[in-house]
Amino acid sequence: MLRALRYALALIACLGGPALAQDHTRDLPLPKGDVILTVSGAIGITNVGNTAQFDLAMLEALKSETFETTTIWTEGTERFKGVPLNVLAKRLGFTGQTLRATAINDYAIEIPMSDAVEGGPILAYLMNGEVMSVRDNGPLWVVYPFDRNPDYRSEVIYSRSIWQLDRIEVLN
Amino acid sequence: MLGGDRHVTFLPERSAMQFLHLFTFRHRVLFATLLGSIGVAVVIVMSIDVARDMRLLDSASSDNVQYALSQTEVEYLEYELLLARAVHETAPDLKRLRQRFDIFYSRANTLQDAPTYARVRELPYFSAILPNIRSFLESQAQIIDSPDPVLQAAIPKLAETAAEFRSSIRLLSNSGLQYFAQDSDQHRLNVAITLTRMAAVVTFLVAALLVLVFYLVYLNAQNIRRRREVDQTSNRMKIVTGTALDAVVVCDLNGRILDFNAAAEQIFGHSAKTAIGADLGELIVPDKYRAAHDAGMARMRAHGEKHVTGKGRVKLEAKRATGELFPVEFAIQAAQTDEGEIFIAFLRDISHRVQAEQDLVAARDRALSGEKAKTDFLATMSHEIRTPLNGLLGNLALLRDTRLSAKQTRYIDNMDTSGKLLMSHISDVLDITKYDAGKLRLRPVAMNISALLQDIVDNQSGAASANNTVLEWGWRGEPADWIRADQDRIQHVLMNIIGNAVKFTHDGRVSLEIEMHSDQQSTAVMQITVRDTGIGMDAELQAQIFDDFMTGDSSYIRTVGGTGLGLGIAKRFVTALGGTIEVQSEKGTGSQFRIRLPVELIAAPESVVKERKQPTDAAPCHILLVEDNEINRFVAREMLTAAGHKVSEAHNGQIAVDMAQTQHFDLILMDISMPVKDGRKATREIRAGHGASARTPIVALTANAMAEEQEAFLLDGMNDILTKPLTREGLNEAIVNHVAARPDTPDTPMPATEPETKSHIATRYLDDLRETLGVEALDGLLARFMREVDETIGYLDDYTDQPLAEIAKKTHQIAGSAASLGAVELRGKLLAIETAAKAADMARLALEIDALPAIWTRTRETMQAERRAAPRD
Repeated sequence: MLRALRYALALIACLGGPALAQDHTRDLPLPKGDVILTVSGAIGITNVGNTAQFDLAMLEALKSETFETTTIWTEGTERFKGVPLNVLAKRLGFTGQTLRATAINDYAIEIPMSDAVEGGPILAYLMNGEVMSVRDNGPLWVVYPFDRNPDYRSEVIYSRSIWQLDRIEVLN
Repeated sequence: MLGGDRHVTFLPERSAMQFLHLFTFRHRVLFATLLGSIGVAVVIVMSIDVARDMRLLDSASSDNVQYALSQTEVEYLEYELLLARAVHETAPDLKRLRQRFDIFYSRANTLQDAPTYARVRELPYFSAILPNIRSFLESQAQIIDSPDPVLQAAIPKLAETAAEFRSSIRLLSNSGLQYFAQDSDQHRLNVAITLTRMAAVVTFLVAALLVLVFYLVYLNAQNIRRRREVDQTSNRMKIVTGTALDAVVVCDLNGRILDFNAAAEQIFGHSAKTAIGADLGELIVPDKYRAAHDAGMARMRAHGEKHVTGKGRVKLEAKRATGELFPVEFAIQAAQTDEGEIFIAFLRDISHRVQAEQDLVAARDRALSGEKAKTDFLATMSHEIRTPLNGLLGNLALLRDTRLSAKQTRYIDNMDTSGKLLMSHISDVLDITKYDAGKLRLRPVAMNISALLQDIVDNQSGAASANNTVLEWGWRGEPADWIRADQDRIQHVLMNIIGNAVKFTHDGRVSLEIEMHSDQQSTAVMQITVRDTGIGMDAELQAQIFDDFMTGDSSYIRTVGGTGLGLGIAKRFVTALGGTIEVQSEKGTGSQFRIRLPVELIAAPESVVKERKQPTDAAPCHILLVEDNEINRFVAREMLTAAGHKVSEAHNGQIAVDMAQTQHFDLILMDISMPVKDGRKATREIRAGHGASARTPIVALTANAMAEEQEAFLLDGMNDILTKPLTREGLNEAIVNHVAARPDTPDTPMPATEPETKSHIATRYLDDLRETLGVEALDGLLARFMREVDETIGYLDDYTDQPLAEIAKKTHQIAGSAASLGAVELRGKLLAIETAAKAADMARLALEIDALPAIWTRTRETMQAERRAAPRD
C-alpha cells in the first residue's frame, strides 16, 4: 500500500513536476520533434530566438480542452482536443491585442485577443482522438465551440477558424 | 366650485365617431394600447426579419465558396508548379511537394465533404468533376505516399498527369461562377422581398400612426370642447348660484363648507372667503341646535341616515355673523361627486315673511275685534236708542189716555207712527247684527200662511189704494194653509217685498201667488211670487238690491225713503230659513220677486183659539218694578196701575234684593242694566236667598235682545223676558202667564193647549228654553238633568249614611237646575229636603225624601215627552 502511494507520488513528480516548474520558471523547452507551431511577436516566453516553437508533444503537455461540435466543413459531429488559445496566450505571455494566424499555404487571418477566453477557441491537434494530417486540415486547426455558443456561428468566426495553422504572430 | 371638476353629462355628439361614445374612457385607453402594441409587435417582428436578412446578406457563404473554389485552383497550381520545377531538379524538395499535395488534397476533400458546399455540389458539371478529382487524388496520393526514390522517379509522370488535369480543376473553379450568379440573384431577390416587406410594414405603420394621430387630434379637440362645456356649465352654475336670491351653501360629509354664494354672504354676513373651508355648524347653526346638528351629521357619516336631506322644505332658525338668530326655510339635497358625497342647502331668510305673517295675524285679530266692537257698539246703541224711545212711546200711550183734542190725537198718532218706524229701523239694524254674528235663531211655529198673507194684504191695501194700485193674492194649485215655519221672519220678508212692490207701483197691480211644491207628505217647498207693474229696475240695480244700505236711485229716496236695509235683511232671513230669493225686473215694466222656502206641512190644530193672545185681564196683584230709568219706570208704573195692579218700585238691583227679602211680591219686573247692582246679579241673589219673594216669578225687562243674553237671564233664575218698549199687552200677558198660574188662583184661564196634568212643570219655561236654546240643546239639557236627578235620588236612598251638609248641597244644586227647567214641583220638594237637612230635622227629612220619587216619576214623564216636542207658539 505504502509502496503504491510512493509510486504514485513519484509519478506525479515526474509528470506534474516539470509542468509546475515550467509554470513557475516560465521556461519553454526546445522542441524535440517536428516543429508544428511557431509563435512570434509580442510574447514573453521564447525558446528559439525570438520565437516560441512547439512540437506536438509540447502542445500536448499544455492544459487541453476537449469538446464536440459540428463544423461547416466537416460532416457530422467531431470531437476536437487542443490547447485553448487563452491557455497558450497565458503560457507565452502574449502582450499584443491581435494575433496573426498563418497557415501552411500562407493563408493568414487576424484573431483579436478578445477571442482568447475561457470556453473560446482551441488549437486542436486531435480530431476524434487522432492526430490530424495536413490532408485532414492538420496538424493544427483553430476550432471554436460552434455548437456550444451560437455567437461563434458567424462568417467572421468561420474565417478565423484557420486550419493547417503553423505560425502565430502576436501583434501589438 | 359647482360642477367644476365633477362629471357632467356631455351634449350628444353629431359626428361620425359617435359610436366612440359607446366606449368609456377606459375602453378607449385599452383600444389605443392594443393598437400601439400591435404596431410595436409588427415593427419588432419586421426588424427581426430584416436583421436576419441583413445578417444573411452580411454572412453570405458565397464568399467562402468563391474563395474555396479559387483557392482550390491556386493550391492546385502551386502543386503543379512545384511538380514542374521538380522535373528539372536533381534533388527536388520532396517534403515540400508532399505538403503542397496534402494542402490541395485537404482543399479538395473539403469541397467534397463540407456541408457548406452542398449547394455547389448540386451543380451538375461540378458534381460530374468531383469523382474525377477523387480518382486523380487517389492515383497521385499513391505515388506521393511512396518512398522518396519512387516518388522522385515518378515526378515527370506526376507532372504530366497534373498538367493534363489542370483543365478539370479550371472547370471546377469556373463552375462556381454559375453558382455566384444564381446566388446573387437569390440574394437580390431576398433583399428585394425584404425591402418590399419592410416598405409595406413602414407604410402600414405610417398609416397606423396617421390614424392614431387623427384619432388623438379628434380626442384632443373633443377634450377641449368638453373642457369648454364644463367651464361654461361651471360658469353658468356660478352665475346661477351667484345671482340666486336664496343662499346656496355646499358642504361635504364632514360639514366643511365648499361653496358659499353671494346671497349667502348677504344673509349670513360672512364673506365667502371666510366661510369656505369653515365648519357649517359653527358658522350658521344656532348654538342651541349645535348638538343636534353635530349628532345628525355624525349619524349620517356612520349610517347614511338622512333626516332633513331630500325631505323638502324645513323651517328652522339660523345664525348670522352678528350672532343674531333669524327664521329660515331651507331644503337640502345630496349629490355624489368625485370628491365624495356633498350637500347643497338652499336657504331663504324668511324673517320678513314671518314678520308679515305675524302682522297679518295681528291685523286679522284687530279686524275681528273691530268687528266685535262694531257688533257690540250696534247692540249698545240699539239699547241706548231704544230706552229713550221706549220712554217716548210709553208716554205717548199714556198721553193718549188723557183728554185730547182731535188735533192733539192726530199729532200723537203721527208721533206714534214715527216712533214705531224708528223702532223698526233699529230692529233692522239689530237683525243684521245678529245674522252677521251668526246668532240668528229660528223659531218655527205652527202657522196659517193664508191668514198671514191676508193680514199683510190687508195691512198694505191702504197704501196700495193710495197709489191707485190693485193688491191681490191667491193660491196656485192646491191650498195648504197650515205649515210649521218661522212666522215672524216670513212675515218680515213678505212685508218688505210686498211693501216695496206697493211703494213702487202707481196706477197698477201688485199680485201675490203662493204655491206648494210637495213631493213628500210633511215637507214642501213654498213658493211665493210677488209681481208688480211698477217702475222696475235695470240690470245693474237688480244685481245690487240685496246689498246693504241699497236704496236705488236717489229719486226713490226722495219719493219713498228707507234705510236700504230691508232687502238685505230679507235676503239674510230667507237664507237663514234655507230658502232662496230672486228677482226679475224690467225697467218701466215691473218687477217679480220669487221666494222659495222649505216648510213643514201640518194638519190644522183642532182649536185655533189662541187664549194667550187674547188673555183676559190679569187679576190685580202686587208687583215689584225694578228700573233705574225714571221715565221708563214711570211708564211701566202707569201702565200697571192703570191695569189695577199694586206697584212697588226699586231704583236698582240692591234695593230690589233687599225688598224681596222682606216682602212677598206676586211678580218682579227686573231691568237688566242698572247701577249699583244689575238685574242679573240681583236675580241670582234673590233666588239664592230665602226671602219672602225668593220664589216669585221674575221677568226681565230689556232693550237688548241678544239671544245668548236671554239664555243667560234664564240661567240666572229669571222666568221670562219682556222686550222694551213695554206695551200694555206685553205686560198683561206676562202677568197672566206667571202670576195667574198660581194654585191659589184656580179661576185663572190656562192656555187650552196646556193640560192640567202638567202643572208640576211650568212648560212655559221649557218653551222659553226651547226657543232660546233650540230643540237639540234643550234635549241635551233635559237628558243631563234627568240623569242627574236619577243619580241624586239613588244617592238619597240611603240618606242616613250621608252627611247632612252634603245632602243640602246636592239638593240645592239640583233644585237650581229644576228651576231653570220649570220643574216647579220637583224643585219645591228638593228645597224642602235642603231645608230639612240644614235644620237637621231627621223626621221631616225622611218624610220629604219619601215623597220625592213619586214627584220625579210624574215630572220625568212630562219631561220625556217634552224632550223632542216642537216649540209652542
